Amino acid sequence: MAADFKTAQPVEYYRRFLKEDVRPDGRELGEIRHTTLNIGSITTAEGSALVKLGNTTVICGIKAELCNPTAEEPKKGFVVPNVDLPPLCSPRFRPGPPSEQAQVVSQLMADIIENSGVVALEDLCIVEGKLCWVLYCDMMCLDYDGNVVDTCVISLLAALKNVLLPEVTVNEETGSPVTDVEKKLPLNIRKCPVATTFGVFDDHYLFTDPTNEEECLATGVLTVVTTEDNKICCMHKPGGTALSESRLQDCINRALTRAEEVRKLIDETINSVER
Amino acid sequence: MAGLEIISDQGYRIDGRRSSELRKVCARMGVFTQADGSAYIEQGNTKALATVYGPHEVRKGRGKIQHDRAVVNCQFSMATFSTGERKSRPKGDRRSQEMSMHLRQTFEAVIVTELFPRSQIDIYVQILQADGGNYCACVNAATLAVIDAGIPMKDYVCACTAGFIQDSPLLDISYVEESAGAPFLTVAMMPKSEQIVLLEMNSRLHADNMEKVLDLATQGCKDVFAVLDRHVRDHVSESHALMTAS
Repeated sequence: MAADFKTAQPVEYYRRFLKEDVRPDGRELGEIRHTTLNIGSITTAEGSALVKLGNTTVICGIKAELCNPTAEEPKKGFVVPNVDLPPLCSPRFRPGPPSEQAQVVSQLMADIIENSGVVALEDLCIVEGKLCWVLYCDMMCLDYDGNVVDTCVISLLAALKNVLLPEVTVNEETGSPVTDVEKKLPLNIRKCPVATTFGVFDDHYLFTDPTNEEECLATGVLTVVTTEDNKICCMHKPGGTALSESRLQDCINRALTRAEEVRKLIDETINSVER
Repeated sequence: MAGLEIISDQGYRIDGRRSSELRKVCARMGVFTQADGSAYIEQGNTKALATVYGPHEVRKGRGKIQHDRAVVNCQFSMATFSTGERKSRPKGDRRSQEMSMHLRQTFEAVIVTELFPRSQIDIYVQILQADGGNYCACVNAATLAVIDAGIPMKDYVCACTAGFIQDSPLLDISYVEESAGAPFLTVAMMPKSEQIVLLEMNSRLHADNMEKVLDLATQGCKDVFAVLDRHVRDHVSESHALMTAS
């Protein structure tokens, strides 16, 4: 019976649950799905991480390449994020060029990297004006069950912390770069941004970590990204229901506690992996 | 190959295997919730993921509809971070297109498509880490995913490679052995009926040696089948136990 009701009237079905302060999957409104993290599983990448947030799964692999810095910014390297939502992860995505959503999330990732200063681009410079690193951060969704932004940010941060770059010196005579594969150095991670996404339902109910179903029913979503010094480095609210200032403040507070938990999880996982 | 011995004097290969030994195979079925069927496989350091959607109605291009059978649609892609050098095009390049086509041909031959007229079955495979035998890992993963989706097949399809290096046949070629430039054979077969579904070789091999290599590859497919079959049976009994317990 419940299944029929859900198919016929999904909104009403959902409303009945929220009235009782609970969600159909048994979570409370502010509860976030169980997060699991696997670091360094892809050996062909310089750094990698697989994150599961409930059923949503994202894998991030980072490849490093040598390149020339631009003439405008000779001391800076590059970090190039890309988010892929392949048809493999959900029936809603079709084969073909990247969907609108994938491009929006990719751009959001680029903004988060730039605004938070997670990696100082100067650290990626090897020889000023001549040689620098470019880090290609490819995030691929393997199973799409909502809240792909939060999952991508966790996987990106964990993979960046996993990166080991070989030491590069430039041969004085020939001017060609020489990589020392024996000596590998971790990246200096300066900030740890963590995203928390909220959904708004019926212009009134506010809940964290929406699933795919909830995202479809929600009248608005809001993503807050914070760093460890309790600064907000990015807010993303693509239209939808307007929120009052006090509710926004609630979201920010919730995001701050969530970010603490995620950072603890990443640190614990990193420490448990032998390098 | 200068300075690199593919087979040592004692008869061991670079990764310590004997010539007719497979790499370790790890598999999981039903790994994802969104797909109708999914599977993950690790063959040594090659890691592949397959998901199956369908059978569902034919999307875009009504012209593709077949009135007597289902259309099988395959897409192969390699993650940009799966290889030593970063891949700039994860899918859509010629090699991936060829791979997609081979997968489609393989699965059209084994899935009982006559049962689902006017519908479509999507098989998506993704290589997460590549270390030789990509096609094989994809076929094996896709077989498990199709089984997980409950789509009837005539038989399993198992794939395996066999090469001919330093005058001896080698089973399940790794990336290093692949790049040594020696001929190798890719075989996909139905192990129960012993029928070959796909066979590919892209270099020169003396006709007298063909039989030896093919025999080894066939044996490899049967070995893979034994492993896959055990995984399927374990998976089914596990899910059965879960269902009866609740």
